[in-house]
Amino acid sequence: MSEIPPPRMIEAFDHPAGSVARTVPGGATGWKGLLLNIHIAPAASYEMEELQQAHCVAGRGIEGDRYFHGTGTYSPKPDTREVTLIEQEALDALNRNDPPLQGGPIHLTPGDHRRNLTVRGVPLNHLVGRRFRIGAVILRGGRLNFPCKYLEELLGMPVYLPLYNRSGLNCAIERGGVIRPGDAIELVD
Amino acid sequence: MTARIIMKLLVESVRATTPEVAHISLVHPLRPQLPEWTPGAHVDLRLPDGKIRQYSLCGDPTDRMRYEIAVKREDDGRGGSSWIHRQVREGSTVHVSAPRNNFPLVQHARRHVFVAGGIGVTPFVAMTRALASEGQDFDLHLCARSAADAPLLDRLREQCGERLHCWFSSEARRFDTAALGAPAEGTHVYACGPERLVSSLTTALAETGWPSEQIHIERFAATLDENFKPEPFEARIASTGQMLHVPADRSLLDVLRENGFSMPSSCEMGVCGSCECGYSDGVVLHRDASLPLSKRQDRMMPCVSRARVSLTLAL
Repeated sequence: MSEIPPPRMIEAFDHPAGSVARTVPGGATGWKGLLLNIHIAPAASYEMEELQQAHCVAGRGIEGDRYFHGTGTYSPKPDTREVTLIEQEALDALNRNDPPLQGGPIHLTPGDHRRNLTVRGVPLNHLVGRRFRIGAVILRGGRLNFPCKYLEELLGMPVYLPLYNRSGLNCAIERGGVIRPGDAIELVD
Repeated sequence: MTARIIMKLLVESVRATTPEVAHISLVHPLRPQLPEWTPGAHVDLRLPDGKIRQYSLCGDPTDRMRYEIAVKREDDGRGGSSWIHRQVREGSTVHVSAPRNNFPLVQHARRHVFVAGGIGVTPFVAMTRALASEGQDFDLHLCARSAADAPLLDRLREQCGERLHCWFSSEARRFDTAALGAPAEGTHVYACGPERLVSSLTTALAETGWPSEQIHIERFAATLDENFKPEPFEARIASTGQMLHVPADRSLLDVLRENGFSMPSSCEMGVCGSCECGYSDGVVLHRDASLPLSKRQDRMMPCVSRARVSLTLAL
């Protein structure tokens, strides 16, 4: 086995998507969201494990997560992956087969989708190039997440197309700290 | 080949089914159901030192609560089984992949004949259970030193009845391939066991005129040619045109990884099929024991297979 590479992150506002979006005004404001679930996986392909609190470390990720350790499936490729988020609303839509592009409802639980944070009331697609707060932690939206075939294989569920354009947000951590389910989420700027 | 989720499973029980074979039952500590599997499937056990070992599931596929495996202690083996025998107890946690099936039952076969050597019987435990419950025609030939050395013998007797044929050397009964008879249309022969048994069986079946499509072998060690001399070659990435140099002392898989390609892999010895990759424009030296002949013209296993001079990878 080769040596485990250290995490090679691209800071969110240095990411091609984030850096452009930073200069473009607009997007939803005035919303207030909620952190529902926190999940990490100890290494690539491992099942996600739920946490009741998590330590976010600026420039690295969530302590104990595969992207914090640089052992994730995509760790060898530099990217913005310190923390990933997905909307509960997207999971709810999959669960009611909306839009009806696949055979039927897809029941994807917060432990299945492999993003770290499941949130409600947070317009993630508006947050590329934006700073927002979860409790005392500040995140920077770097790029939209997009589904991968790898996830589809791991889950054995056809989630690739259904997750398109609602697969969540990849973030960098600007200010680290502890987050817990129930924390409020708000736009900073 | 598909990626598989890795779970931290709880050891529900460990029982000695023979003096050398531990029969281990695994459950998920949180989820009520484990991923589905079909008879012939195996799981990967990931050992603390990073080694991966493959074990056939020998339980009941309709029981979604647990996986069962049987592990023979091989003190002169590669270290996996002796770790399992020393360390795994009821209540232990083991890291286990979701199952994969490289050795499925042939659909629509008229008759199935299984030949097992010792611990090689494990995939056939699940297969014969399924066939017996469907009322299908099969026979299981089990070779072992003695009844006491035959893994899961009680279970096999119960589910196979008279379809189980034991060949115990202690009773001076040695398996003879003549017992399988002449080739018959719709009959499929499956073998799993020590290389000696498997190779003498395949030779004998070929001599009797059995078509190779009706013979199915499960191997847990790749048949690498010791005289193979690896040569360096160039790999071109089809999507980008990037050229990668693969030195003689490194695998294509290693070089791909080093260059940022995230390739799934498991055994890294050409038996599991995880790292399967497409290729074109090249003479590939296939060295795996996993890909069927029909796929070798455009698929390869970069963990052990190489190319003459150069190839283009569908990446």
